[in-house]
Amino acid sequence: MPSTPRRAAVIGGNRIPFARANGRYARASNLDMLTTTLDGLVARYGLAGERLGEVVAGAVLKHSRDFNLTREAVLGSRLAPSTPAYDVQQACGTGLEAAILVANKIALGQIESGVAGGVDTASDAPIAVNEDLRKVLVAINGARTVQQRVKLLAKLRPGQIVPDIPRNSEPRTGLSMGEHAAITAKEWGVSREAQDELAAVSHRNLAAAYERGFLDDLVTPYLGLTRDDNLRPDSSVEKLATLRPVFGTQFGDDATMTAGNSTPLTDGAALALLGSDEWAAAHKLPVLAHLVDAETAAVDYVHGRDGLLTAPVYAVPRLLERSGLTLQDFDFYEIHEAFASTVLATLKAWEDVEFAKDRLGLDAPLGSIDRSRLNVTGSSLAAGHPFAATGGRIVATLAKLVHEKGTGEGGRKARGLISICAAGGQGVVAILEAA
Amino acid sequence: MIALYAKAAVGAVLPGRARSLPGTVLERSVTPEVGHLADYGRVCGFPLADALPLTFPHVLAFPLQVELMAARSFPLPLPGLVHVANRITAHRAIGLGERLDVRVRAERFAAHPRGAQVDLVAEVSVDGTRVWDGRSTYLARGAQAPTGLAGELPDLPEVDGPAAAVWRVPADTGRRYAAVSGDVNPIHLNPVTAKAFGFPRAIAHGMWTAARALAALQGRVPEAATYEVGFRKPLLLPSTAELVTEQAKEGWDLAVRNRKGAVHLTGTVRRA
Repeated sequence: MPSTPRRAAVIGGNRIPFARANGRYARASNLDMLTTTLDGLVARYGLAGERLGEVVAGAVLKHSRDFNLTREAVLGSRLAPSTPAYDVQQACGTGLEAAILVANKIALGQIESGVAGGVDTASDAPIAVNEDLRKVLVAINGARTVQQRVKLLAKLRPGQIVPDIPRNSEPRTGLSMGEHAAITAKEWGVSREAQDELAAVSHRNLAAAYERGFLDDLVTPYLGLTRDDNLRPDSSVEKLATLRPVFGTQFGDDATMTAGNSTPLTDGAALALLGSDEWAAAHKLPVLAHLVDAETAAVDYVHGRDGLLTAPVYAVPRLLERSGLTLQDFDFYEIHEAFASTVLATLKAWEDVEFAKDRLGLDAPLGSIDRSRLNVTGSSLAAGHPFAATGGRIVATLAKLVHEKGTGEGGRKARGLISICAAGGQGVVAILEAA
Repeated sequence: MIALYAKAAVGAVLPGRARSLPGTVLERSVTPEVGHLADYGRVCGFPLADALPLTFPHVLAFPLQVELMAARSFPLPLPGLVHVANRITAHRAIGLGERLDVRVRAERFAAHPRGAQVDLVAEVSVDGTRVWDGRSTYLARGAQAPTGLAGELPDLPEVDGPAAAVWRVPADTGRRYAAVSGDVNPIHLNPVTAKAFGFPRAIAHGMWTAARALAALQGRVPEAATYEVGFRKPLLLPSTAELVTEQAKEGWDLAVRNRKGAVHLTGTVRRA
């Protein structure tokens, strides 16, 4: 083991185009998409038959049969079957948290290479039996005599046939993520116009990135799809302005969140390839970036004053302090667009003097960012957001961006910040630096 | 398809059957649909990927095989034909979305120790380039080939190791594979129709067993490969079967057997 930790290298990534739910990937399972994405990565980097340090991925919406999803994907892939794997799940933070786990093991010298990311399908979602029915079935399964079984069968009721369909809501508040975000948007006075503008820019940036070939070595077509089918290259503020609000409608005329400035339910998978510099060199693979540091924060959105998706607001100052950096020391900001309002509320919180003092415990706010450096190749509003896949998408994208830029102000290495909010009031953030 | 079986059944008892193979070549062009591929994958155990499973083009050629064999010009009666061997070569991976030109013809009408055998040959091309070859050998028990020519059957190794996997094969497997392959031969569908043809219960399609075995080697089979199988004892439905795999030079040897050791299928996969 090296005496001091080394920095893990980001070598690249692979994802399949993201598809709107119940569309092109309606027949694909999480395992299908994860295996396909892994095999695409293996093909791109010539890893067939290789034993990697580990593959770490996860899914948010998961069938019980997929308990070992990532290991099953490895066994079905062209990687050596001796490659270990495990699943993680941290809602929308899954993919980035997986990358941090792999990077930390690489930094400690425990492994030399790894793959991290995630997959999600909102189409092939698990539907469970009604909870009352499940209890009866479990009891029948455990019954020892015929009489016991007959007695239990008599407990079945027609209403129990109604299945449990997963809902995009917080168990402790009963509110959907959009409803939570709408409350935060209202609190920070995020305008409809600003949200629509951010959404239009996201579509424009992603379309331009496809046009210039930026995604050629990041995306592998799947089931006839070559680009994310949520992408609207001709999206505009005018068009977005015509949509009616869907979240925060209790605020009447102050409701600002529409289907256009919120991410749609999407299916897809994304993975990033990490390794030590030595491993990359031995495999003749160029290193794009290094993972410098990462931080995960959580907030009490249930009984406290913080919004569900605001944990990155706390994570970033902690990360900056540890790294000795300011918010302005970055060439790129990848702030996951769960909702346009989430990004804008996050930026407002970092600019706010009172918030810095009272809530973040800082003498001065982090300040504002150069918006031209934000999500420069588009983000989730345009690409879509298969929950656990988003982290892998962003890590590979940002690694390529800092690599392309090479150096930033004063000749220092180009640097980027990732910020991903997640259900459960959590947020995962990380810094990448050009290699 | 059912109509073809019925027509063939009537034809089987009528006099005037041809004595040699017809020169017929049947053709169709098809672009596989995602839904069909997904259904096939779920039944056989393949993931839904952009490359077609090696065995998938067989179900695209199969309707042409049946059409050819059900015709009056075909010398053997379709009902009662037994699939005894199959050989597939994929010259490269075939992508979903490629337009496939499928050609089917019959050849090698020859003697078999228990009757006569014939090969139904399928060729799949993309833009004039051959990408896939299939050869299905069928046996007509008690039939006689025109010449004394002895038919060839694949020489496959016996694989006798521990089970790599135990399959619990449900009773509806024949109906489920029939739905994705179009092979509605009554011996696969339910116990009553199977009994009419002398089987105690419905039996699994040989090509289902072959596909299921290949699917178990997912990720370990080269894209360009030859997969050869011989069908032995029918796999009665439902049943529990064992898959045995053994790594060989440039590929795999495999077998599917029941828990008492009786062999349903032996096969080899080799880099092509």
